[in-house]
Amino acid sequence: MIDLKQHCQQNSKRQGTSGVMCLTIAAVMLGTLALFIGSVAMAQDATAQAGAGVATPVLIIDTGDTAWVLMSTALVLAMTMPGLALFYGGLVRSKNVLGTIMHSAIILCMVSLIWILFGYSLAFGPDKGGIIGGLEWIGLNGVGSDPHPTYGPTIPHQVFMLFQLMFAAITPALITGAFAERMRFSALLLFAALWSVVIYTPVAHWIWGGGWLGKMGALDFAGGAVVHISSGVSALICALVMGQRKGYGTEYMAPHNLPFTLLGTGLLWFGWFGFNAGSALGANGIAGSAFLATHTAAATAALVWMWMEWMHRGRPTVLGVASGAVAGLATVTPGAGFVGPFSAIVIGGFAGILCYFAVVWKGRMGYDDSLDVVGIHGVGGIFGILATGLFASKAINTAGADGLFFGNTAQFGIQAIMVAAVAIFSAFGTWIILRLVDAMVGLRVSPEDEATGLDLSQHNERAYS
Amino acid sequence: MPAHFSTMRKVLPVLVCMVMLAGATTVYAQDAGAPVLYAQDAGAPTPAAPPATAPEAAGAPAPPAVPKIDTGDTAWLLVSTALVLAMTAPGLALFYGGMVRSKNSLGTIMQSFIILCVISIQWVLWGYSLAFGPDKGHIIGGLEWLGLNGVGLEPNADYGATVPHQAFMIFQMMFAVITPALITGAFAERMKFSSFLVFTLLWATFIYDPLAHWVWAVGGWVRNLGALDFAGGTVVHISSGISALACAIVLRQRLGYGREHMSPHNLPMTVLGASLLWFGWFGFNAGSAVASGALATSAFVVTNTATATAALAWMFAEWMYRGKPTVLGAASGAVAGLVAITPASGFVGPMPSIVIGLGAGVFCYLAVLWKSKLGYDDALDVVGIHGIGGIWGALATGLFASKAINAAGADGLFYGNPAQFGIQAMAVLISVVFAFTGTFIILKLVDGLMGLRVSEEEERMGLDLSQHDERAYS
Repeated sequence: MIDLKQHCQQNSKRQGTSGVMCLTIAAVMLGTLALFIGSVAMAQDATAQAGAGVATPVLIIDTGDTAWVLMSTALVLAMTMPGLALFYGGLVRSKNVLGTIMHSAIILCMVSLIWILFGYSLAFGPDKGGIIGGLEWIGLNGVGSDPHPTYGPTIPHQVFMLFQLMFAAITPALITGAFAERMRFSALLLFAALWSVVIYTPVAHWIWGGGWLGKMGALDFAGGAVVHISSGVSALICALVMGQRKGYGTEYMAPHNLPFTLLGTGLLWFGWFGFNAGSALGANGIAGSAFLATHTAAATAALVWMWMEWMHRGRPTVLGVASGAVAGLATVTPGAGFVGPFSAIVIGGFAGILCYFAVVWKGRMGYDDSLDVVGIHGVGGIFGILATGLFASKAINTAGADGLFFGNTAQFGIQAIMVAAVAIFSAFGTWIILRLVDAMVGLRVSPEDEATGLDLSQHNERAYS
Repeated sequence: MPAHFSTMRKVLPVLVCMVMLAGATTVYAQDAGAPVLYAQDAGAPTPAAPPATAPEAAGAPAPPAVPKIDTGDTAWLLVSTALVLAMTAPGLALFYGGMVRSKNSLGTIMQSFIILCVISIQWVLWGYSLAFGPDKGHIIGGLEWLGLNGVGLEPNADYGATVPHQAFMIFQMMFAVITPALITGAFAERMKFSSFLVFTLLWATFIYDPLAHWVWAVGGWVRNLGALDFAGGTVVHISSGISALACAIVLRQRLGYGREHMSPHNLPMTVLGASLLWFGWFGFNAGSAVASGALATSAFVVTNTATATAALAWMFAEWMYRGKPTVLGAASGAVAGLVAITPASGFVGPMPSIVIGLGAGVFCYLAVLWKSKLGYDDALDVVGIHGIGGIWGALATGLFASKAINAAGADGLFYGNPAQFGIQAMAVLISVVFAFTGTFIILKLVDGLMGLRVSEEEERMGLDLSQHDERAYS
């Protein structure tokens, strides 16, 4: 009780700064709103033109394909909320569980708005020099129910937009595991908004939106580079810039609720079928093949991680199985639509081994990547992209390419260029954004707030009572 | 113990009646419905001998072309049905279950769970027929479809021309299930389980079924007025939100309300529930297109957009007003946004949905704040979120609806048709008055029959032990 009283007093003192932050952020929101009004006005102008200019062959909506991609969209939403929120929420200490869940929740909300206002246009709008999409589709102007010839010719264009929205939402949410238990909430809002605009949209454009990597022939079926390398590498920078949690390495920081984490893992696995098989953009053979590869790799990686741990540490842990499954899912993501089930077993097997060692080695490197985003998504994503260059086969997907093991050495080189480009860009971009946000509102909570926990200090509530 | 038996004896007659009716209808159904059920086994929809049952043939002139089942539409509707099921249990059950004190968490979860079971039976026996059966005087559906008699695997041109009639029926069942479950938040932590069962059955039959008929069924009088309700703003949210107000008033406050600490016992569970509601709501709204395609897509987009906006709006409103953004606030805001966009989801574009979400976050936040000044104990804020959110959504539909989004809809006030706003206001008024009066009468009836509240010592002990003889955590 005394704690609570003191805390409330501190709160009332801090009310001033909290109000300022709130105002800063509200100003950003208002700016976006102004943009929205502008875009609506513009949209009305341009719709008239679009009506006259476009006379492309009529594409017909297929109800089955649309049903599958709509369902996949809902599944990918479930990966972020509640999947990732609970996966991370269970791994932190009970004083930080709400703060951790809130990160995923609020990123989902913010990116949902950013994406329809201008994010989708930047990522997938008409290409500008291979670097970024144009502003033609701002406010979903021209993104209607007619299918787009490259973005799913049998589904409404808005379905593709929405499906991609869920990818844009989960990617920054993945990063939050790196700075769990110590980031200021207002800083998180700014960081996530900036990151999704400055890092996510260009990378998505390069690979999927007709940008330079896509033109080069880089293969990334469902986001190994766009989602996992970008978030994993950014997580490393976050862990380095933010520094360790108070008491890291000396205090006990075990997960407060592992069944939660397992529930989150289950929902991630469940939702990942939408993530990977939905990326076929139709209910077709590629979707079936991607579903199979996804499931096989996840199962293999969970088993391999468990055995690695059993041999190395003497006991198979539940947390290990959960981490292994997620590592397998992250790793098979870029190859899901290009590799067969047996290649998926190999990919899953290596995912279990490599990610396990990455997590074990983290302890020696000294950075505090609290919930192992680097080890799982960074290492898994990089290996997955490279493995796609090895195992991809035109026999599985004629729209893809053959990998090294199927006689096409060049593909492996292209994949390596993609890894380097995305990793370097994400690392630099994230570093600059973090510095900027640090200067604006400060990244970390105060030491006493950190000791109190994010739930009370940032949100004034307790998870359990 | 004798007290338990006597309440049991009071519930039993109702259940017995239900089973008898079930028996009768099954016999009836076997007489008339057999050919319908086997129509598909026999092969493709048979145009030669359309198993158009008597009511169908009598009710509406035969459609020009024989309706054909579309696999994509059917897949989407079936999965949407499963999504809406997930909204009630586990979604709503955990959303509410986390918000109560730990001694009442099982009791609260049980209410949603058992409603799912009770209404599933009620709906196939007589609920669907009352709500969607052949129209009788624009007020109620006839009894022709009792026990799903005549509701087979052939599409019904009025209710989804490309999906089996039973798919539409079961999709609607999930709506009938979640609506009374939403009300349970108003009387959480204090209602007797047996009274709750009887209340639910009566409410579904005498409030939900007629209201669904008025608004959605062919021939319903509110539908004939031209009222727009895409996925249940009036039928589901206003009806449950206003009934919740009646419940909170009749059942009065919980013991110690306003004095004791009654904070949620497990907020992560509440967030889990809210997320599953969001997830399932895609089935609720986008599934209401009863087809997979452009309209479902548009409903999906606006649902997600309004929800995200409302969660942010509630969070910022709270941050400015109280100094901290809370997780419960963000979760409540998301649900408020989902509620508000529900009636509009098939009629508005993405930009108006931002405005609808913004309004939902702010209005519902204020409604929840004002609750404490008005003194009624709506324990889990059903009135503030579903009542106010539902009313705002129904009115906003009259503002922002556009024929450019849905040609089968209408233009709203901002698209040059002020009359639509008047019609929406009328639909709101009708559902508010009907739901409040009806619920009030049912509650008084059940109170007279068996008493609504648990005893004081049972309330102190908690519903888990007093009503169900078990503990949630040990």
